[in-house]
Amino acid sequence: MKPALLARKIQPAPGKGFLNGWAANYQLWLMVLPAVIYIAVFCYGPMYGIQLAFRDFDFSKGLTGGDWVGLKYFDQYFNSPMFWPTLRNTFVIAFFSIVLGFPMPILLALVVNSIRGHRRKRLLQTTVYMPYFISTVVLVALLQILLSPTTGLINDLLKTLDLIPADINLLGSPGAFVPVYVISAIWQSCGWNSIIFIAALSSVDTQQYDAARIDGANRWKIVWHVEIPAILPTIIILLIMNMGGVLSVGFEKTFLMQNSLNKSVSEVISTYVFNVGVKSNQFSFGSAVGLFNTLVNFLFLILANTFAKKKSNISLM
Amino acid sequence: MRVRGILTALLTGCIVIASLAGCSNTNRSETSDPGTNTATKKTKLTAIFVKHSLTKDVNEMKWLTDLEEKANVEIEWQQISADWDQKKSALFASGEIPDLLFNATKNSDFVQFNGLFEDLSPLIDKSGTNIQKMFSEHPELKALATQLDGKIYGTPKYKGIWPSSTASMFINKTWLDNLGLQVPTTWDELENVLIAFRDGDPNKNGDNTDEVPMDFNPMGWDFTPKLLLGSLGLPLSNGVTDGYFTEDAQVKDFYVDDRFKTLMQFLQKLYSENLINKEVVTQDYSKYQSLARGSGTTAKVGFTWGWETSDRVGNELKDQYVTMPQLKQHADSTEELYWSNDNYYQNYGDNAISLSAKSKNKDAAMRFIDAFYEPTVSMQVLFGGMNDTDKGIKDNGDGTYQVLPPADSSLDPGSWKWTSTFADNGPMYIADDLKSKLTLGTDMQSVLKEKSVYDDLLKKADPQTNVYPQVFMKYSMEDTNAMAMNQANINNITDQKWAQWMTTNVDIDSEWNEYVTSIETSGLAQNLEIRQKAYQEYLSTVK
Amino acid sequence: MTRNKVETSHAIVSSGSLADRLYTAVVVVVSIVAFIVVAYPLYFIVIASFSNSTMVNQGQVILWPKDINFYGYEQIFKDTRIWQGYLNTVIYTVLGTLLNLIVTLPCAYALAHKKFKARRIIMPLFVFTMYFGGGMIPTYLLIRDLHLLNTPWIMIVNGALSVFNLIITRTFFESSIPEELYEAAVLDGCSHFRYFISVVIPLSKAVISVISLYYMVGHWNDFFSALLYINSDELQPLQIILRNILLSNQAFAGGAGSGAGAGAGSYAQQFADQIKYAVIIVSTVPVLIIYPFLQKYFEKGVMIGAVKG
Repeated sequence: MKPALLARKIQPAPGKGFLNGWAANYQLWLMVLPAVIYIAVFCYGPMYGIQLAFRDFDFSKGLTGGDWVGLKYFDQYFNSPMFWPTLRNTFVIAFFSIVLGFPMPILLALVVNSIRGHRRKRLLQTTVYMPYFISTVVLVALLQILLSPTTGLINDLLKTLDLIPADINLLGSPGAFVPVYVISAIWQSCGWNSIIFIAALSSVDTQQYDAARIDGANRWKIVWHVEIPAILPTIIILLIMNMGGVLSVGFEKTFLMQNSLNKSVSEVISTYVFNVGVKSNQFSFGSAVGLFNTLVNFLFLILANTFAKKKSNISLM
Repeated sequence: MRVRGILTALLTGCIVIASLAGCSNTNRSETSDPGTNTATKKTKLTAIFVKHSLTKDVNEMKWLTDLEEKANVEIEWQQISADWDQKKSALFASGEIPDLLFNATKNSDFVQFNGLFEDLSPLIDKSGTNIQKMFSEHPELKALATQLDGKIYGTPKYKGIWPSSTASMFINKTWLDNLGLQVPTTWDELENVLIAFRDGDPNKNGDNTDEVPMDFNPMGWDFTPKLLLGSLGLPLSNGVTDGYFTEDAQVKDFYVDDRFKTLMQFLQKLYSENLINKEVVTQDYSKYQSLARGSGTTAKVGFTWGWETSDRVGNELKDQYVTMPQLKQHADSTEELYWSNDNYYQNYGDNAISLSAKSKNKDAAMRFIDAFYEPTVSMQVLFGGMNDTDKGIKDNGDGTYQVLPPADSSLDPGSWKWTSTFADNGPMYIADDLKSKLTLGTDMQSVLKEKSVYDDLLKKADPQTNVYPQVFMKYSMEDTNAMAMNQANINNITDQKWAQWMTTNVDIDSEWNEYVTSIETSGLAQNLEIRQKAYQEYLSTVK
Repeated sequence: MTRNKVETSHAIVSSGSLADRLYTAVVVVVSIVAFIVVAYPLYFIVIASFSNSTMVNQGQVILWPKDINFYGYEQIFKDTRIWQGYLNTVIYTVLGTLLNLIVTLPCAYALAHKKFKARRIIMPLFVFTMYFGGGMIPTYLLIRDLHLLNTPWIMIVNGALSVFNLIITRTFFESSIPEELYEAAVLDGCSHFRYFISVVIPLSKAVISVISLYYMVGHWNDFFSALLYINSDELQPLQIILRNILLSNQAFAGGAGSGAGAGAGSYAQQFADQIKYAVIIVSTVPVLIIYPFLQKYFEKGVMIGAVKG
C-alpha cells in the first residue's frame, strides 16, 4: 500500500458532514486538552496581575486592591525625558538584530545542508551551536578581553586589517555599540537558530532534487527553487514571531555592556525600568512600561501576521 | 601545585565531614523535635538570613547554636546567598514570611509592605535590655532605626572600629624612587610625576610603554578621582552615590558644582596627555583589578585608588605602594582640604533584623534578637565564635580579647571572617568600651594604619554640616518614587558627560551652563528639595 | 533506498558546471570562516578556564594557556552539592521534556487540522500568552496556592507548553505532512489517535528532535524558576549551585571596601575569574554530548520520500 500516492487521487472532501461534527473531533479536543488546561491555569490564571499597571500597589489591601490610578504610570513614562531616547535605542537594537540576525541562520542552514561528508557537516554544526550555551556574563567578559583597545586580539586584528579606525575603543564608542551587540548576538545564537531550518531542510523530498537536476538546474537554482520554498513556511512563521520582538532587548546583556561612553545608545527600555522601577521597588511603574512594551510588540506581531496571511496564506493564528 | 593539591584534598575532606556533621545535626533535631521541645520548652522559630556568598552553613557556627541555646529558641534557618532582591518581592507580596529576617529588609519594604512587619519598639521597651543599652549609649542608633511613622521595624547595627574612609590613594613609591621623584603634594606635581611615569621605564623591565600612569573606576563608584574634589574644598562623605554631599548643612550635587568642572578640566588634560588608562571608562572590575596586579613583581599602574594595598595590587606588589595624602590643587592654593568622611557608611547599618507581624512567639523572638546585641556576642557575630570550634576570637582571660588569625591557613583574614561567621551582614553592637579591649586581626590593623594619613582631614568634616548621613535618611514612598524617576534622568546626563568630557577635547567651559541647566530641569531641584527636607529632619533629631 | 537517493543527489552536485563549482567553493569558504570565527572564542574559554585569570584579563593568554592551574575546577568539584545538582537537573530535564512532548505534540497535531474549527479561537488565545502575562508575583501566588512551592514538580510542570515550540511543530505538520495522507488513512478506517501515533510521529522525527532539544535546553538552563520557587538545598538544580559557587568567588567584585565595609583581602583574585569560565564548561558539557544523538534525526533525508519509496 502506498498511502501517499493513493491519497493524491482523492481530493479533500470539504463537505463531509460528520467529519466536521463534534463526534469526529472529540479526539482532537482530547489532544488539545492538556495544553488548554496548562495555558488556562498557568498563563491566564495570573493574568489579573496586569491590573497592577493601572493601580497603586498597596500591600495591606491585597495585591490588586490598591487605588485605581488609570494611566498615571504610563503618563509618567511617556512624559519622561527618557521616553524617546529609550524607545529609539530599543527599536534600533531590535531592528538591526532582526534585519541582520534573522537571515544568518537560514544561510548557515543552507550551507550546512550542502556540506558533503557527515563528519565535516557535524563538526561545523556542533561547533556553531555551542556558543548558545555561554552565559551572558561570560559573553560580555569575552568581549571585554577580545575587544580591548590595548590588548584585545580581535581589536588588533581588525585594526591591522584597517577595518576600524586605529584610535577607536570598540567597547566605548557609541557608534560601535549596536554593531558589537548585534554581531555578538549573531555569533552566539546563529547556530542554535539554524537548527530549525536544518530540520526543515531535511524534509525536502529527495525526488525534488532529482527532478530539478533532470530539468538542468544548477545548485544555485536548486537552493532557490527547491530548498527555499521547502522551508518558506518555517521562515515566515519565525519572521512573524521575530516581528513581535521589535521592542524586546534583553536586559542583562545591555546592562553589562553599558558604560558611560555608550550610554546615549545603550539605555534601553529594560535598563531604564530597572533604574527607575526596580531600584525603588515600584511594581506599578515597571508593570506599566512592560505592558506598553508588550502592546507595541503585539501590534507588530498582528501586523506581520495579517500581512503574511494575505501574501502567503501562512499565519500564526 | 602538589602542596595545593594536598591542601585542597584536606579542605575537601573537612568540608565533607563538616557537611555530614551538619546533616546529621539537622536530622537529629528534626527527628527528635517533639521530645526536646517538651523537655526544654524551646521555642521554635523560622528565620531567613541573607548572607554573603562565602559564608558557610550557619548551622555549623557554634557561637550561634550557643546563642540559640541561651535564648532558649530553636531556629530553622533558611539561607539566601544570591539574588535576594528578585526572590524578595514575590515572597513579601505573598504575605508569608519567616518569623525573623536577618539582613533581608530595606526601609522601602516597610512602606511598600505595610503591615507585614512588627513594630519592635514596644518589645524593646519591654525586654530588649541590650538594645536599650545601645540606644542610651548611642541615641543616634535609635534615630537611625526609627521610621517616619515613629516605629522601629528593623534593628540597627554599629561597628565603630572600621576606618572612616572607604578609599585611599595609592602611588607606586618604587617607581618614584627609580625616577628620583618625591610623592606629589599638588595636582601640578602629580601631573609631572605621571608624565615621568609615562615617558620613563619606572618598572625597569626595559619597556617604557607598558606603564599605565593612572587608573580608576567609573565616576559614580567608590574608587575614583571624585575624591580629588576634596582638594578644592568640597566635602564628600559616606560614599553617597549620584554626587550628593552636604556643605554648610545644605544638600548639594557635585555634578553641577563649579569645582567638578575644574576637576573635569584637569582630568581632560591628563587624558589628552595619555596619562590615564585608555580603558578607564569601559573596563570592568575584573580588568581593573587584574591590570594593577602587574606580572610578578613588575608593577603596571603608577597611581590609583582602592580600599587597601594588598586588595588593590596583590601581595607581591603591595610593598611598592604607599598611601598618598590629599593633594592641594596648586602649591599656593588656600582651599580647605577634605577627604571623604565615610564614618557612617563604614560603621553604621540599618535593618539588621526584622520581625514578622504574624509571628506567634514575639517574646521569644525578641529574646533572640536582643541576645545579638550583647557586645561580646556582637564581637563574635563580626569576627567569629569565641570557642574551640569556631576559633574566631580568643578570650585573654583579663577582659581583653583578640581576633585570631584564620584557622584555615589558605584563607586571608577577610575571607576567613566572611566564611566563618555572619561578619558585617550580622546584627551587632560593638560598644565603644570594647574597642580598646579587642585586638583586631592583621588585615584590619593594616587597613587602619594605611588610612591613618587621612585622619586629620577626616576630623575636619563637621558632622553637623559637612557629613551627609545617608544611612539616616528616611523618605516617604512618594518621595522615593519621585527621586528614583528623577535620578534615572539625571544619571543619563551625568554618566555620559564626564566620560565624554574626559575622553574628548571639547571645551568644557562652553558646554557647562547648558549642562547644568539640563540636569536641573531633569528633576535635580526636586531631588535636592526632598533630600534637604529629610536631612533637616535628621538634624532636628540629633540636636 | 533513501540513502542511495541522497548520495546520488550529492554526487550530482560535485561534478557539473561552473556555477556548481562556484557554489561548492562558496560553501567551503563560508564553512571554514564560520568555523574559525566560532571556534576560537570557544577555545579561548577553555584555555581561560585553567589559566591565570590576571593574565587572561591582561590579554596575555591568546593561543596557549598560561600559568596552568585547575583552581576553578577544584572550587567547583569540591562543592559536594554539585552532584546532587547534576542529578536534580537531569531528573527535571528528562521528566520535564517528556511532559512537554506529551502536551505539545498532540496539541500541535490537532491545531494543524484545518477542519478543527476551534483552532481559530485557540491559536490567538495561545499566542496572546506569549506576550501578555500576569507578572512574577501573581504567578508566585498561583504556584503557592497549587502547593507546588518548593517541590520538584514545579520544575517539571512549569513551562509544560511553549507556544513558540507549539507553533513550530504545528507549522511542520502543516507543511510537511500532506493532508491527503490523512484522508487516505481515514478511508482505511484510521482514527486520529492511531494516525497520529503510527503515521505522524514516525514522519516527524526531525521536528520532534528539534523541539525536544529546545525544551531540554530550556529545562537544563532554567535558573529562574528554581530561584523563585525552590528553597531546599537538596532540590536545587545545577545552575543555582553553580551560580552560588560563582558568586562566592566573585565575592568582592563590587570593590572590597564598598557596601558594608567588607574589608576583605586579596581573596584569590587571580583565580576568581577562572571559575566564571570553568562553570560554563561544567554546566554545558552534558548538553553538548546530547546534541549529536539528536542531530542524526534531522539531517537524514528520511521523511515522506521514505514512505513513498
